[in-house]
Amino acid sequence: MSAFTKTTASIGAAALLIALAACSAEPASSSTDATPVSGGTLTFASGDAEPTCLDPAQSGNVPQALVSTQYIESLFYQSEDGEIEPWLASGWELSEDGLDYTITAQSGISFSDGTAFDAEAIKANIDYIRDPATKSSTGAYALAKVDSVEVTDNTTAVIHLTSPDSALLESLSQVWLPIQSPTALERGLEANCESPVGTGPFIVESWEKQSSITLVRNDDYTSPPPGASHTGPAYLDSIVWKFIPDDASRFAALQTGEVDVVDRVAPESLAALEAHSSLTFEGSSRPGYPESLVLNSTKAPFDDVKVREAFIRSLDIDAGLESVYFGSVDRSNSVLSTATKYGIETPDAYSTDVDKAKELLDEAGWTLGSDGIREKDGESLTVSFLINGDQVLAAQKALYEQFQASAKQVGIEVKLNSVDVATRYAQLAEWDYDIASAYYTKNSADVLRLIFDSANTELVGGYHSNTTGIADKDVDKLLRAAAESADEDERTDLYAEAQEIVAAGYYQVPIFDQQTRLGIKNTVVHGTRVIPALSLPTFYDSWLTR
Amino acid sequence: MTTAVISGGPVAIPRARTAGRRILSRVAGAIFVLWAVATISFFIIHVIPGDPALAIVGGAGSNVTQEVLEAARVEYGLDQPLWQQYIAQIGRLATLDLGTSYTLRTPVSDVIADHLPSTLILTVLSLTVAWILALALAIWVTRGGRIARVVGSTLEVVSAALPHFWIAAILVLVFAVSLRVLPATTAPGLPGVILPVVTLAIPLAGFLGQVMRESMLDALESPFVLSARARGESEFGVRWIHAIRHAALPGISLSGWAFGSLISGAVVVETIFAREGLGRSLLAAVIARDVPLVTGVLLTVAAVYIVVNILAEIAYVLVDPRTRVSS
Repeated sequence: MSAFTKTTASIGAAALLIALAACSAEPASSSTDATPVSGGTLTFASGDAEPTCLDPAQSGNVPQALVSTQYIESLFYQSEDGEIEPWLASGWELSEDGLDYTITAQSGISFSDGTAFDAEAIKANIDYIRDPATKSSTGAYALAKVDSVEVTDNTTAVIHLTSPDSALLESLSQVWLPIQSPTALERGLEANCESPVGTGPFIVESWEKQSSITLVRNDDYTSPPPGASHTGPAYLDSIVWKFIPDDASRFAALQTGEVDVVDRVAPESLAALEAHSSLTFEGSSRPGYPESLVLNSTKAPFDDVKVREAFIRSLDIDAGLESVYFGSVDRSNSVLSTATKYGIETPDAYSTDVDKAKELLDEAGWTLGSDGIREKDGESLTVSFLINGDQVLAAQKALYEQFQASAKQVGIEVKLNSVDVATRYAQLAEWDYDIASAYYTKNSADVLRLIFDSANTELVGGYHSNTTGIADKDVDKLLRAAAESADEDERTDLYAEAQEIVAAGYYQVPIFDQQTRLGIKNTVVHGTRVIPALSLPTFYDSWLTR
Repeated sequence: MTTAVISGGPVAIPRARTAGRRILSRVAGAIFVLWAVATISFFIIHVIPGDPALAIVGGAGSNVTQEVLEAARVEYGLDQPLWQQYIAQIGRLATLDLGTSYTLRTPVSDVIADHLPSTLILTVLSLTVAWILALALAIWVTRGGRIARVVGSTLEVVSAALPHFWIAAILVLVFAVSLRVLPATTAPGLPGVILPVVTLAIPLAGFLGQVMRESMLDALESPFVLSARARGESEFGVRWIHAIRHAALPGISLSGWAFGSLISGAVVVETIFAREGLGRSLLAAVIARDVPLVTGVLLTVAAVYIVVNILAEIAYVLVDPRTRVSS
């Protein structure tokens, strides 16, 4: 079956769901301002793949981050506006030369196996993440500038850097750089995959592969994050963490009450969800580089800035988002998510202008052929759009088909090339694409260096994070300076200037922020919030009325 | 595979030595099939783009340093030339060692032991339900008049053509979301297995029903039914003792094939209903380029397939007296 018919079928099934949901509207929800009560089991269904390991230091992907946020905590907490606050660490100090971070461990905190959290634990964890045997990807990458960790007393650890890194504290507030019990780490990698031990409000009790993970309350919990609405142990007795990969099934399970909270609510389910007064949608932007289209500037035809601009001007992104996402996502006009500090908006660079697009293509020497596709020197203006067929939502696919149609109106033929995730990364590595969909989750403006610094066109681990091929000396200089600067005003200016240059080069076009999209049974579950660093839900404050 | 079963039936040479030789050649054939499955799956997964070392360190798209990637390659022998990896792989398989999954980091045999029972329950129940539906349909159609034939054959063709994901979506909408009588996703006990089983059984029942009806109609018009009737056999006896055996024969020989198609259907159904099973393991393993797990699951499916075909052959002999060996 072709991917297209599958997409059409899923949309058809979703339409049916919506129709049926309209017939079965439910009574109004109970009030949510009542006093929280303890007890009960919450069932969560994730649409992401089941993690292969519950320790987020080993590898380091979103499915791991989602579940481990319930039992593992970080040294620092990053607030909604990007500020760093103390969490397991009570404070920090940066040396004059920017090479030594002195971090103080909060005292009186224990891991759920009884081991005390102290400076030695900080060292043990940073060493563990950096050890190649751990096979940490995201975490080890973020610690690339760390030279060593020195414990100076029971509560003080000094992180020595090889060069200044203004993103270090932001990195250390991601769950991919977890703080786990040193005693538990000594059990070995495999045991730590099965039952990692953190300081969090829940404890991993059991993991039935392909079925569910059971988390139970940590009764000795003492380290709630900033912004939590209570202190002490969590309200829930336990969480059953399920995996339902199919979008329609996951939503059906939420409707029938088999599960209480789901993530990855599909745009086509949203209208049905909102028709139920007992269901609530909570979307929050994830930080980093938004969901975007990147244009490969290393080869024809997008090595010509006029052709790149023409393609971007041909797209009607607002109309596409409205028709496909039903207003559930806001358009992005920035290379940084609204959840990431230092972002600036450059809407002029991404506005629709079909006439200008045609003019630009004329200027660039592409003349309209008889079939409506432009030509130059016998070559037709055909570009290949690399799509991650494994993970793309039906709605996203529909959006890309609209882009395909709008590009055709100015004479650019777009071929949609939907492949599985491993093939996609292989083609990305070989620059074998003209357009690709891309995003990058990172809670720091330093993500810009990964995406736009020319150094990152080189393969690292089979992947180059700079996918547009932009190689601009000014951008490199600005981003590298910002990464080393500890001065907030200076960083603001440097990042703003870099973003202006990138936007004016038409290397890419942001579409919308990556989102955490929760569907919540509001008659049962109350008080769920997200930890802003990666916008991941925490059930620490959640309580149930059944 | 189907033809092998059918041709295996009527050939019957009544000598023990021949029987022994036949068993030997059957075993050799089975080993050949398993080797071929291992070889083809090994090379196919290496031909399609994607780096298994990335699967080991967290999947495509992880930010991973070159050192970590190299360490993983060396640890899992992926730095060796492909033919050496192949020889090592076949050598391990020959000693019944399925290796360790790249992504799950547990022995492949454990993964299979964990998830095979669930898939077997699903497929055996689906086959049973499909058989019951198909037989019921065949008997109803052959008894009823012209309208029953038109309705029956339309039902058969339509249900045989329905894709699993569509049936599943409709069943969930009707029985879980609207009527609320069955769970939308997998649940312990009988209620949780009903929708997955029916999803798999409907297209298969349509398919089996078609062949069963044809041969039942043939049987009812054949001389032995006439003579049974002449002997005074009741209509019930004619249908339920004589004709049904005829109807069952193509169904039995198709069941071997049907089992294979059910396992591929299980990939879809297990995903939609979030049910544990080998189908989901296989899907995840292929996406992640988890070579040992893909090979292990495919070998298991092939082995089950061989066993089911042998069982179908035995059943065929039991049902059809013409194929029985008389001394």
